Amino acid sequence: MTIDATLPGAMPRPARRARPARWEAGIGHGLMILTALICVFPIYWMIVTSLRPENAIFSTRLWPDTASLENYAYALRAVPIRQMLVNTFIVSFTVTVIQLVTGILAGYAFARWRFRGSALFFGAIALTWLVPLQVVMIPNYLLVSRLGMIDTLGALILPHVASAFAIMLLAQSMRSFPSEVIEAARMDGASHAHILWQVIVPNLRGTLASLAILIFISTWNEYFWPLLLSRTPENSVVQIGLQMFITSEGTQWGPLMAASTMASLPILLIYLVLQRQVIASFMKSGLR
Amino acid sequence: MAYVSIRELRKSYDDTEALHGLNLGFEEGEFVVIVGPSGCGKSTLLRMIAGLESVTSGEIAIAGQVVNDFDPADRGCAMVFQNYALYPHMTVAANIGYPLKLAKLPRTERDARVRQVAEILGLTPYLDRRPKQLSGGQRQRVAMGRAIVREPRLFLFDEPLSNLDAKMRVQMRIELRRLHRQLSATSVLVTHDQIEAMTMADRLVVMNSGRIEQIGPPSEVYARPASTFVAGFLGSPAMNLFTARIGAEGGIQCDLAPDREFPGRLDLAPGSAFVLGVRPEDMSIAETDTSGLPAVLDLIEDLGGTRIAHCRVGEAFVTAVLPRESRLREGARLGLLPGPRQLHAFSLETGLRLTSTATAGTLAPTESVTVP
Repeated sequence: MTIDATLPGAMPRPARRARPARWEAGIGHGLMILTALICVFPIYWMIVTSLRPENAIFSTRLWPDTASLENYAYALRAVPIRQMLVNTFIVSFTVTVIQLVTGILAGYAFARWRFRGSALFFGAIALTWLVPLQVVMIPNYLLVSRLGMIDTLGALILPHVASAFAIMLLAQSMRSFPSEVIEAARMDGASHAHILWQVIVPNLRGTLASLAILIFISTWNEYFWPLLLSRTPENSVVQIGLQMFITSEGTQWGPLMAASTMASLPILLIYLVLQRQVIASFMKSGLR
Repeated sequence: MAYVSIRELRKSYDDTEALHGLNLGFEEGEFVVIVGPSGCGKSTLLRMIAGLESVTSGEIAIAGQVVNDFDPADRGCAMVFQNYALYPHMTVAANIGYPLKLAKLPRTERDARVRQVAEILGLTPYLDRRPKQLSGGQRQRVAMGRAIVREPRLFLFDEPLSNLDAKMRVQMRIELRRLHRQLSATSVLVTHDQIEAMTMADRLVVMNSGRIEQIGPPSEVYARPASTFVAGFLGSPAMNLFTARIGAEGGIQCDLAPDREFPGRLDLAPGSAFVLGVRPEDMSIAETDTSGLPAVLDLIEDLGGTRIAHCRVGEAFVTAVLPRESRLREGARLGLLPGPRQLHAFSLETGLRLTSTATAGTLAPTESVTVP
């Protein structure tokens, strides 16, 4: 036989947050749906406009009467979009890999080594994060120009080989890595390279994935620096290709929207596939 | 010559000296436990032997070779950390085998050694698991496996049992001793837990504020503590320490009850003050307060096998072991008589043991006299 020793009403139940009323939840959801619609509408409008024939381009109907891929065909014919997409991918991928590598190496040095002036160096790197592109644009331009790299993909990559943000984020992650694990590795006979690549890096996969997504997206979306350096469409990136549909005779909205849709597709795909990581990366980096 | 010998070892952090010129040696194959309160420098000493902390001055020699400037991996020692320090992304097998991988041992030999160590530690069923899938005790065994696999001649344990629950701690204590017997390598264990220290050590090193207070076998350190610090630190409940002086009759007079004198021989001039130490088990209890230190029984702690009486003598608290047959209740008045077994005497100025103390076989409750 079991005896229930609890006296009814003797212990008050712990206070629980009251569930929101149905109408409160309804308003909350309504607001969220509205905000989502406001965010998604420009993308929807871009895709819809890209499918409209030229004579209906300014139609305000929400759904196109007739869908056509004519704008896509024109955009692909008028501008080497395919080549530009490949270039953009090469630049974004390379910048991502290089920034991760330099960030890992510099982050480890700042996190694990004590050297004279390390705080000063770290502060200087942090300060470069605050310097806008416009300030370093001319010196960087002169540098790549003297290196004979104008109108090359290398010139698009060179100024981005190291990023203060990546160094700071990774140094911070490495500082919070358990020092006993690193000491255990030292006792086991691991060199600095072993500790970094075999012990720390495999345990920072989450941070590295988040950082990689952020770097890739920001490099893919870059417009101003490629605009300064690109001379020929074949050596340019897709964001410059878009600008080619805005001419002195007017803007070709249909092909522009088609090209924009094609340019956004990789980023949209990243969002769709790695939605959770993308949001986590923004949360982790303290952005947005 | 000692297997590990430490000479005039000092460690400073900026202007603060953490270790003040230590001298000690560990013989080959012995199990040494370094014990002391938090912040006494015991972990710093262990980390300096391991090579994880630099030496400010002095010398550390392992197997006759000064290793001050050697990398941790080149000192021939392995360390087990308090938080296990396992590699979270590696399996148990990979964790144990990592030192061998770094030593570039062929894979087949590596696997064989890992399996052999896993067998010794009962880890064979868990070789494919990751650390987070293991219990605390299993993680600790993996950490030990990683240390054993290198076949070092010196094991360093930095509070390896403090993260385990009480039951597991007792089990691992025994396993560690067994393992030590099996491997017969020199082992140095750091702990703040006196039971761990007393039960595991061949030799005990008691540290306080960056200095060594006493070195010796646990039974000797317990029986003849070298200072009031050691006397108060080792033993649970701790030794009772009172200020006392030599009475007019040549006996011992406690300041807690200056009108009473207890027999005891000490080569000090009458009136000389000293610190009297009495272990709770060496304190006799009289059921009236007419003899001994007049006390009130404040609280009884029943530990099953023994009962501890916490008594109030004036403003001070004194502990004694209450005989099982005693019918005294909380609030009762009683007399506490130092003896009849061993008494300890320490210098009032330095806190060091006064070697001329007589063990008080002659002390009996009835022999206490009241000084008019």
